[in-house]
Amino acid sequence: MGNKQTVFTPEQLEAYQDNPFRQRIAQVFSEDGDGHMTLDNFLDMFSVMSETAPRDLKAYYAFKIYDFNDDDYICAWDLEQTLTKLTRGELSAEEVSLVCEKVLDEADGDHDGRLSLEDFQNMILRAPDFLSTFHIRI
Amino acid sequence: MEERSTCESEVWGSSEGFLAPREARGGPSLSSVLNELPSAATLRYRGPGVLPWGAQEEEEENGRSIQAFAEAALKELQEPHPFRELPWPMQARRAYRQSHARDQMAHGSRSKGAHWARWLRRSKEKMREDLGNLQPWAWTLKRIGGQFGAGTESYFSLLRFLLLLNVLASVVNVCMMLLPTWLEGAPPGPPVSNSSSPCGSYNLHSQGLVTYPTQIFNLLTGKGYLEWSPLFYGFYPPRPLLAVTYLCSVFVIGLICLLLILPRSASGLKQTLLAESGALTSYSHRVFSAWNFGLRGDVHVRLRQRIILYELQVELEEAVVRGRAAVRTVGQHAAVWSVRMLLNLLVLALLGAAFFGVYWATGLTVELQEMPVVQQTPLLKLGVDYLPSFFIFGVNFVLPPVFTLIAKLEGYTRSRQIVLILLRTVFLRLASLMFLLFSLWNKITCGGNAEAQDCKTCGYNYKELPCWETRVGQEMYKLMLFDLLTGLAVMLLIKFPRKLLFGLCPGALGRLAGTQEFQVPDEVLGLIYAQTVVWVGSFFCPLLPLLNTAKFLLLFYLKKFTLFSTCSPASRTFRASTVNFVFLLVLLLGLAISAVPVLYSIFLIPPSELCGPFRGQSSIWALIPESISSLPETTQNFLSFLGTQAFAVPLLLISSILMAYTVALAHSYGRLISELKHQIETEVQNKVFLAQRAVALSSANRAV
Repeated sequence: MGNKQTVFTPEQLEAYQDNPFRQRIAQVFSEDGDGHMTLDNFLDMFSVMSETAPRDLKAYYAFKIYDFNDDDYICAWDLEQTLTKLTRGELSAEEVSLVCEKVLDEADGDHDGRLSLEDFQNMILRAPDFLSTFHIRI
Repeated sequence: MEERSTCESEVWGSSEGFLAPREARGGPSLSSVLNELPSAATLRYRGPGVLPWGAQEEEEENGRSIQAFAEAALKELQEPHPFRELPWPMQARRAYRQSHARDQMAHGSRSKGAHWARWLRRSKEKMREDLGNLQPWAWTLKRIGGQFGAGTESYFSLLRFLLLLNVLASVVNVCMMLLPTWLEGAPPGPPVSNSSSPCGSYNLHSQGLVTYPTQIFNLLTGKGYLEWSPLFYGFYPPRPLLAVTYLCSVFVIGLICLLLILPRSASGLKQTLLAESGALTSYSHRVFSAWNFGLRGDVHVRLRQRIILYELQVELEEAVVRGRAAVRTVGQHAAVWSVRMLLNLLVLALLGAAFFGVYWATGLTVELQEMPVVQQTPLLKLGVDYLPSFFIFGVNFVLPPVFTLIAKLEGYTRSRQIVLILLRTVFLRLASLMFLLFSLWNKITCGGNAEAQDCKTCGYNYKELPCWETRVGQEMYKLMLFDLLTGLAVMLLIKFPRKLLFGLCPGALGRLAGTQEFQVPDEVLGLIYAQTVVWVGSFFCPLLPLLNTAKFLLLFYLKKFTLFSTCSPASRTFRASTVNFVFLLVLLLGLAISAVPVLYSIFLIPPSELCGPFRGQSSIWALIPESISSLPETTQNFLSFLGTQAFAVPLLLISSILMAYTVALAHSYGRLISELKHQIETEVQNKVFLAQRAVALSSANRAV
């Protein structure tokens, strides 16, 4: 990337992605959770997001990315945040809550009102294009 | 596997401190208990000698020695597993590679078996990759798919597949029809006018110098010098070997096409089942796996967000419609169904009117061709000749938007609307072709009445159509050319001017009217229609597949050019798996429908007396029993056995039994799957219950 830094700030990484999840990715893969990545973190990120990473590993990291409040569960608030980022806030509030409700209906296996890692993993295992969309090509 | 679990227990043992702070807080929580389960531990496994994901780092990264990594790695991997695929962090990989390299140098060559196994695996992968690269335009297709969506990519993929079919068909035609013609000497020239046959005379006077418009006219309608050329059936001389190969080539082409289309549609079906079986998880999949993390550039991100928004809105809307349908009272049901009946009757009436129009136009063509004024002006002659094609084109242009409007009024969900519109348009296109052929049949066989005045002597209408097979071939040739010309005309006169004009118009109106999208269903149905025309015509016009290859090649580059210059990316998604399967099914339907006129002509209509390789026989098929009787005795017996009932009935019975068995098997698998799903749910509930009890018990113990 040109300069001889070993730590990349979130702003520098932002220049390489227009991804609405860029902050979450940086936070999840960084050492101390604040978005600053060392070279090893950077390599780990590309290793997980590569083509040959196993599905379970990608599912684990996808779960962490979508878990906005870092409480090891994807609750309704996390889902709302995800939906807002996915649709750039163009869904009405009523539609957002409808979709969140339906997602929890479909995926929540233990019926506790939020998605645990197992629920997420079971659901994402059946998605045929998860491996190809959770993928960054260098 | 055992190595892994011992490694894990070691790892967990060393990180006991991880649990310690939580325990100190007052009993293990539910999540910590759940984290200890084997399934969670496998998920978090990170590699040899490393803490699993999510565990807090106890020591510094630098403090860990490379040696510890290498030892743990060696302990774990007994076989030369491709360690690239294992989820190890960078340091572990480096350590393993260093130690591995050292080992390799120390021990010299590895065991031969492992070496050969690795070489075999690598060469297989390479061969698969190379075969994939052999397919032409692979990169173009990928680019189209990325820029315009999967639906557009499937159109071009279908076009490439049809090109392959046409190439194969033309190769078969050249080998089995053209080569045998010249094998026994040059074929004779066009017949002279005074022949003493009871079936009239076939006049093909070779005009010396023809005017330029007449040349163009001849080229576009297949008359004049083209009529007695290898292009049409009439040219081929009545030689027995040629006749046999000519007839067999039709069946060979049909078989090849069937064998190539079936596996492709089967794989499409598998994809559809996989995608559609997620009916229970559609929302969660849309939310969690719809976002493509590899997108770059604001435009693409915006587009993807719009697509996701549209999909979610469609799903919600369909849920609303379904909910509304569920709570309808009896009265409302009756009202809705009466509206649907009326609209279906309207659709049928429109289709009937369209077909009658085609039939009438064909009849009108023949009448108008008799008028002397038409025969003198070549332009009028051309117009009259192409009248049925114009009519079919007009009908195909006007009716589908009407169907779209009607479907909106019927109150079905959007996906069902699309299916209905597709079905109706398919019916329209293929049936108008069938009506054209029906009117031709009417003319050839005097309405099926073998005793009619014109058809009594020769079995077909020899006065108007001395060589009826060439006439049918000419009609199919005209349809193919007309299809190409209208495609060109639409592109040049509608799409490009619209883009240019509205590109100059400023503001939102210009942008709205100027954005064109690639209409995948219409274009694919056009392709299938063109291919059906070629399948019908390839018996009567042997070089038609070759011409069609050239046409499809031109069409590919034309459509690609139009796509990249005038179209914007699709704002609505079209599920590629459903598209592929449905359209291949329609292609099979086209193949089946195209077989009907060809088989009818082969078996039931007497061949022309004055032209073609089958002249003088009672029917085209009559040649086969004759040639079989010249084969050796055993072959004859075997082939005649294949035709008896003693063979056909058991075959039918066995096929029905196999089909019933497969259906029963599929049904039982479906039931097994739903049972297993239910079991998984119950197990999850059990697990949570047990974990809660464990927490309760341990906190009770602590209290005591």
